[in-house]
Amino acid sequence: MQISHYKKLTLFLVLFTAGMLVAANAADSFYTDPYKLEYPDYFGNRISIPADNLTTKQGVYLGRMLFYETKLSSSKTISCASCHQQKLAFADSKAFSFGINDMPTKRNSMSLSNLLWVRNFFWDGRAKGLEEQAKFPLNDPHEMGNYLEQAVKDLQKTKEYPPLFKAAFGSTEITVDRLTKAIAQFERTLISANAPYDKYLRGEYKPTPEELNGMELFMNSPVPSKNIRGANCAQCHGTPKMYMELFHNNGLDSIPKDIGREEITGMQNDRGRFRVATLRNIELTAPYMHDGRFKTLEEVLDHYNEHILPSRTLSLSLQDRSNVENGKTLGLTVQEKSNIISFLKMLTDTDFINDPRFADPHLKKK
Amino acid sequence: MKKNIFALTVLLAMFFTTFSTTLWAQKASKEAAVKVEGEVLKTLSLTLSDFAKLPHVEATMKDRDGQLQHYSGVPVFELLKLAGVTLGKELKGENLTKYMLVRSSDGYEVVFSLAELDPAFANRVIILADRKDGKPLADGVGPFRLVVPDENRPARSVLEVSNLIVRFAKE
Repeated sequence: MQISHYKKLTLFLVLFTAGMLVAANAADSFYTDPYKLEYPDYFGNRISIPADNLTTKQGVYLGRMLFYETKLSSSKTISCASCHQQKLAFADSKAFSFGINDMPTKRNSMSLSNLLWVRNFFWDGRAKGLEEQAKFPLNDPHEMGNYLEQAVKDLQKTKEYPPLFKAAFGSTEITVDRLTKAIAQFERTLISANAPYDKYLRGEYKPTPEELNGMELFMNSPVPSKNIRGANCAQCHGTPKMYMELFHNNGLDSIPKDIGREEITGMQNDRGRFRVATLRNIELTAPYMHDGRFKTLEEVLDHYNEHILPSRTLSLSLQDRSNVENGKTLGLTVQEKSNIISFLKMLTDTDFINDPRFADPHLKKK
Repeated sequence: MKKNIFALTVLLAMFFTTFSTTLWAQKASKEAAVKVEGEVLKTLSLTLSDFAKLPHVEATMKDRDGQLQHYSGVPVFELLKLAGVTLGKELKGENLTKYMLVRSSDGYEVVFSLAELDPAFANRVIILADRKDGKPLADGVGPFRLVVPDENRPARSVLEVSNLIVRFAKE
């Protein structure tokens, strides 16, 4: 079949333009797979994912690589995982942690589980959003050595990272912004929801009498006139996530050395107030409180039962609650304290601390 | 030599005085205020002294033990009006999808619809109180608390109110 000269020219031009348009589009767009975050209904949907950092499989994988990446520290020995160890529910076992130059951190490393629901990070709530939080340890001279800008350059020179950044963000250019976004994406996947307590909520686990009594005491407020025993923990640590996003002074000191949230807000009412931390995996995350002053759960229960110290900002939830009519302290028995601890141990999620999806991806290569 | 030592001492004294005033300035804490913000024409930040100048009304509510308590404060409706929120004649159409989020400085939050704060819709007067039985509010309760009369639980009568945020519901 003979095609006329003009028709050939037109066909060529059309194909050429089409080819250029396709190429132009392909260059700008990149394809990522959404990461489906799964959690029980009873956690509720008040999750926090910014519109400019949706959770993708590529972002999560990169974030996990970075979470365990010691190249992000100036000494090349510290990664996020140094103070946030999976087997301890992403906390560590020290009161204060030690960074690159063996200087202690100001406060106890918090456990990283179920951060998808948290909106104000750190003990004093100073960071709004995981992306903002990640910058703090990376920039801290005593934690990872204020090395972030240089680390970005170091990673750019490696063979493995630029392609991972391209997969997650569509460009091989590594920036501080993309680095912290990836870490945040990985952290959102750290969901702990399969402890014996969760199995109990699903009707799959039968608690022992001690655990059940501990649970009741945890959930109930004491009403001595009606013979109702209670520890009222749920006032602040209630809901299946085992925390409510509140800042309270829990009576650790009458005159706190660490003024907590007051440092951020400048308000006297916030003196000695710290974020109510989750009690999930609490058996693993000793020592306890913002300064790690309590080494055991027994010490914690003793504090709440007998040693709450007064101050202007002491939480109202911890005042005038007693199992004794007009009592000044909570008044639980030794057995009741022990039962509450039995219940707290129901919050240990062995699946979470062993989940290979959250483990160190660099180990395979060693 | 003596002149040099004297001059040095004066300089050091001046240096430390300046330095310590900076320290003092940092230690001085902020005055508690309630902020009205969001879908407003004018963001308000009211301290206790600002608030005291506004016309007050009384409101009562039952506490946890069922005792009646007497508070004095400003109707939330009046505070929102001051900030230029769409109330009264303007509370219609899409403005009825607005809510007011009350936040406490301890992080506690509850929500009200605009309509339940507006006398054009509801007869119950919800106030932001700064006094109880004629006295300032206690630590942990004040300086401002919400008083919502006639509710079966006091959970919405937020203590230590720091923010009133008006927004459109997102759907």
